[in-house]
Amino acid sequence: MRRPALAAGAVAAVLVVGAAAGWAVTSAADGEERALPVPAADSADAGFARDMAVHHQQAVEMSYVVRDRTDDEEVRRLAYDIAQTQANQRGMLLGWLDLWELPKVSADPPMTWMGMRAMTAGEDGALMPGMATDAEMERLGRLNGRQAEVFYLQLMTAHHRGGVHMAEGCVRACEVEAGKRLAQGMVEGQESEIRLMAGMLRARGAAARP
Amino acid sequence: MGSANKSSASRTARIEEMRRAEQARERRNRILVVAASVVVVAGLVAGGVVLVRAQSDDGRSSSAADDAKSAGKFVTGADGVRAWKGELGREHVTKSVNYPVTPPVGGDHNPVWMNCDGDVYEDEINATNAVHSLEHGAVWVTYNGDAPKADVEALAAKVKKTPYTLMSPVDGQKDPIVLTAWGHQRTVKGAADPAVDAFLEKFVQGQQTPEPGAACTGGLAK
Repeated sequence: MRRPALAAGAVAAVLVVGAAAGWAVTSAADGEERALPVPAADSADAGFARDMAVHHQQAVEMSYVVRDRTDDEEVRRLAYDIAQTQANQRGMLLGWLDLWELPKVSADPPMTWMGMRAMTAGEDGALMPGMATDAEMERLGRLNGRQAEVFYLQLMTAHHRGGVHMAEGCVRACEVEAGKRLAQGMVEGQESEIRLMAGMLRARGAAARP
Repeated sequence: MGSANKSSASRTARIEEMRRAEQARERRNRILVVAASVVVVAGLVAGGVVLVRAQSDDGRSSSAADDAKSAGKFVTGADGVRAWKGELGREHVTKSVNYPVTPPVGGDHNPVWMNCDGDVYEDEINATNAVHSLEHGAVWVTYNGDAPKADVEALAAKVKKTPYTLMSPVDGQKDPIVLTAWGHQRTVKGAADPAVDAFLEKFVQGQQTPEPGAACTGGLAK
């Protein structure tokens, strides 16, 4: 008599634990009271936030420069859009690093979190794929009108290609949902702008650099 | 001996009584355990059903999105917001676009966004410019001729105080007052409907924004 009662008790205990686990899973699925994960300094999340903040900054700078070099409304508006968007997104990325209490720099080379340690030369200020060199930035600042527009569209197309590639790395490897979402938005937004700039280059009798 | 026999008999009786009492206690315990187990199993089954139903809801909505691909359709949520299930184009085009719903909730759009920094437009605006504002994370408040003047004025005052919103008349829309964000839309009963603030809180620069951080200034100002 005692043993079946004990067995029944044990079964009941297991069921109580199981029910509690089921309840916990259900409430987690409801998405309430989720603890925000804090990634490690060498994670894809932190690496993306660090590197994309640097990558974006050059696009902001490039866009300010071209707005001073041409009166063309179409190019000036594209540059305004890119500068506003990427300056804001850069603020989000740096803000996450602040909240995570992680450094803004790393002793490792850029893109290490993507397994690209060997591929980044960092020559003449072009720290990451797609970035312009210091010499190219200076040249943009000397050109005027149509020449400045074409050079800007070429530099920004290359910049976006590198940016899309890096953002895809985060879409694949990042774990924080807000970071993944922003990266996915960058992929789609910049791919759309690459196509837009191809049309603008064509209209100016030019093409993107290979 | 006699007294020993007597006490032995009474001990037997006492033991018998104790055994009966214990059996009764065990029966009681057994009933309690069985009852508790039944309650737990019932709870577990109920929890499991809730869990499975929650998951299959997700499955249903995502398969609806897959089915819809280019066409798409609205699915109304428990909060009364219609969510667009299907693809929404993101290309910049200068021609007019034939959007499947009025006002549109997304799709290909003009390269120039409509300013949406709390901008109130008295006349109809080009939908292809407004859709670009939605892409930047704006909420678009629209109304037709049936909307009471007082509601239109109250909503205009709210929009003017709210960055990343814009407002304009859309004669072709079915309902008097409609709120639209990228991929999401709802009607409201009036300016005082609590659904207005709830929609703004959720969707002004909300998670649906395809281009987070993009500007509501520097675009088309009429």
